[in-house]
Amino acid sequence: MTDIICPLCGKPNPPDLDECLYCQAPLKTSGFIAPSEGQDEFVPPSFQPGDAGEVGDQERQPESITSLEQAIPDWLKQTEANFLEGSEVEPGEAAPDLVSEQIASLLNEPSIPDNAEKTVIDDDWLASLLSEAGVGEPAPDTPQEVPLDVETGAVDADKTVPPFDAEIEDEQYLPPDQIEKPEWLHPLEAASTIKQESEIPQIVPEGRVAPVEEPEESEGLAQPDIPDWVKMPDLQVKPPSVNEPEPLIVPAELPGWLEALRPTDAISPSEPVEDVSTAEIVTAGPLVGLRGVISAHPSAIRARKPPTYSIKLRVTDEQRSRVEMMEALLADEQKPKPLPSQPIISSRNIFRLIIAVVLILPIAWMIITGGQRTSNPQPGNIPGVVDFTQQIQLLPAGSPVLLAFDYEAGFSGEMNVAINTLVTQLMLKKVYMTLVATTPSGPALAENLIKQVNTSLNGSSGSYTNYTDLGYIPGGTIGLLGLATSPEVVLPYSIEGINVWTIAPLNTISSIGDFRAVIVMTNDPDTARVWIEQVGTLLQPESTPLLIITSSQAEPLIYPYYKAVPSQVQGLVAGLVGGLAYSRTVGSVQQNGLWDAFSIGITVSILILLIGSIIGVTVKMLASGKKMEN
Amino acid sequence: MKKILPITNAIIAVFSGVLVLLGYFFHGVFGGVQSILIGWAIILAAFALLLGILNLAIVHIRKVRLEGKKNIYSLVLLISLFLTMIIATISGPSGSWTLWIFNTFQVPIEISLLAVLAIVLLVAGARLLSRRPKWYTVLFLVTVLLVLLGSVPLFLIGEVTPLTALRSWLSQVPAVAGARGLLLGVALGTIATGLRILMGVDRPYGG
Repeated sequence: MTDIICPLCGKPNPPDLDECLYCQAPLKTSGFIAPSEGQDEFVPPSFQPGDAGEVGDQERQPESITSLEQAIPDWLKQTEANFLEGSEVEPGEAAPDLVSEQIASLLNEPSIPDNAEKTVIDDDWLASLLSEAGVGEPAPDTPQEVPLDVETGAVDADKTVPPFDAEIEDEQYLPPDQIEKPEWLHPLEAASTIKQESEIPQIVPEGRVAPVEEPEESEGLAQPDIPDWVKMPDLQVKPPSVNEPEPLIVPAELPGWLEALRPTDAISPSEPVEDVSTAEIVTAGPLVGLRGVISAHPSAIRARKPPTYSIKLRVTDEQRSRVEMMEALLADEQKPKPLPSQPIISSRNIFRLIIAVVLILPIAWMIITGGQRTSNPQPGNIPGVVDFTQQIQLLPAGSPVLLAFDYEAGFSGEMNVAINTLVTQLMLKKVYMTLVATTPSGPALAENLIKQVNTSLNGSSGSYTNYTDLGYIPGGTIGLLGLATSPEVVLPYSIEGINVWTIAPLNTISSIGDFRAVIVMTNDPDTARVWIEQVGTLLQPESTPLLIITSSQAEPLIYPYYKAVPSQVQGLVAGLVGGLAYSRTVGSVQQNGLWDAFSIGITVSILILLIGSIIGVTVKMLASGKKMEN
Repeated sequence: MKKILPITNAIIAVFSGVLVLLGYFFHGVFGGVQSILIGWAIILAAFALLLGILNLAIVHIRKVRLEGKKNIYSLVLLISLFLTMIIATISGPSGSWTLWIFNTFQVPIEISLLAVLAIVLLVAGARLLSRRPKWYTVLFLVTVLLVLLGSVPLFLIGEVTPLTALRSWLSQVPAVAGARGLLLGVALGTIATGLRILMGVDRPYGG
């Protein structure tokens, strides 16, 4: 006896009922036919290697029919019922084309776009369905091999039988030409054939021939109202023979919607079920009421604008006041502090003013009156002056001499006495003066001095042209070294833009040693030292004298070069004293009260220092005495 | 590129330094190369001076723009700079107008600064003992007085020979000894710095 399983509640019902006893759902159109009483209880098909030789052939055919009925979807059964009721086509007749087209249209899902890939999927699904409707041909997606010898597990390719074509030839119980197939089934059949060819062939033991007997129970178990076109796939499937080893029972591949409709109580869970009792229940969306699933509520996946967080620092009023105070302190640190206003007439200013007046008045008085009360310095007492004078006297007329004006304009009052005398002597001897400078103001000083001396010698009408001004040498020490090694390269043109190295007498100059003398006028001991160290070494092999006119402050540092043996400086005139001595040597006394002014200035300075120091010490002692008394 | 460029700079610097140094010892072989490299350095120094002037002008132009009339000295500097450049360009470096500016402004200003310096130093020396009555202050003040006394014949007194000899000894022995010591220290430091640059340890040119 076959029961009908209610598709809605999953409970078995007698076959004569049209509606479910439990839920009153219609059973004829969509119910499942339960296994008969004589058979085992329905077990979901699953692959078990050991079952191949244990399951008998007699039990296999009814099971295949049952699996066919189970595999037929409801919508197909409904279509079948409508077809039987509406067209009243007798079983065994070929279905009209109209009905075939209707079924074919139903088989094709209208919502899915019509493309080749989807069609192949539908064909696969139907092919698997047809294959399952046969003798239990395995139709899983993954290929599974059935071992011929279960104990050894070896698979011999020679012992396999071609799956489909050979089977069709061997089938004697129902020739294909005696069956009328609908036209729509031909392409499906072809697809199913291709599918089966690509799958693992059925393994048949060697020496055995597949039986062609058709089991009687298969007809008896089949539904009497199933049309022939539904039975047609059975004809293409080879029935298993008695001697043939039991093929594998593969699980039916059901559509998803059909799997969802299967009664859950008929299937025992084979895998451990996750305990979702503690999971949250979905309260909204299409999955409402389910537990342990991700909610599909739109609010869960709704794209929201990210919240904006203020970057403004929340501070209290006290903190803000402290920050403002800190900012004010920092701002005050950056601002220049104004000097405290001092009264114009103060004791300090009066003291400064008194010292200035005391110092300036006698100096000015001596210059104005031109006093000559102080004895002039003797050249013999001033070291270097005599040698300097002799070197100048040895210069031949017209010989090239290099003059370096490297002193600052502020020292011109001290140094111009000696320099004026020197330039005058050189002009009188008609020496060709080549003027250079390593200070930016040097060329102007040189030009100014040359014009001044020229005016004093020749008057405003005459001009001395036996000189050239090569201008400023940049680079400091490097410039001097370049001048010493190759003056023509470092200073190729004069400040007037004339290439003087092609004109006599400079056309004979290739190095600085070719000059007849090098005279350096500087107030800086470092500049003098650079000249001595960088240029003087190149002058010694040529016996070119290096003469220096310097200030009193640089004289102590240059003097050792003059006193050295052999001397690196062949003549030295230092300060106002040396200038006056040099002037007196050459007979050009241009004192004009300068020496008396200088003498009285030094004397007053000494007195101021002495008096100021005595007063300061006295005041300090008195202050400390008062503190002691207090 | 960031790695190659510093290495290239170091190679150029070390190679140039070694060539110039060898020019001192083997002038016949490396003298020519030394002269060329020194000529390049002189040109670079001249352009550095021009850049310095340009930078000075830019800084003071920015000050005048930002502070306006508050920075009158920057305005005076800019006017003096551009006026002198214009006149020197027109008149020439040794022209009469250029020399007039030099003799009228630069020379008196520099001399006045030195004169003011002399007075300031004198005032400071006079108040030295009242401010800092220490033994080295006294020593400094006494040395200054001895040097001044021995420098020139005193007015109405004349030359004091012992003081002149003492002044000569002070300026030639202790003063030069101290200055030479400083120079020797500077020379040793310069040698060490030069060797570090030649070996590429110090790279003041970057990298």
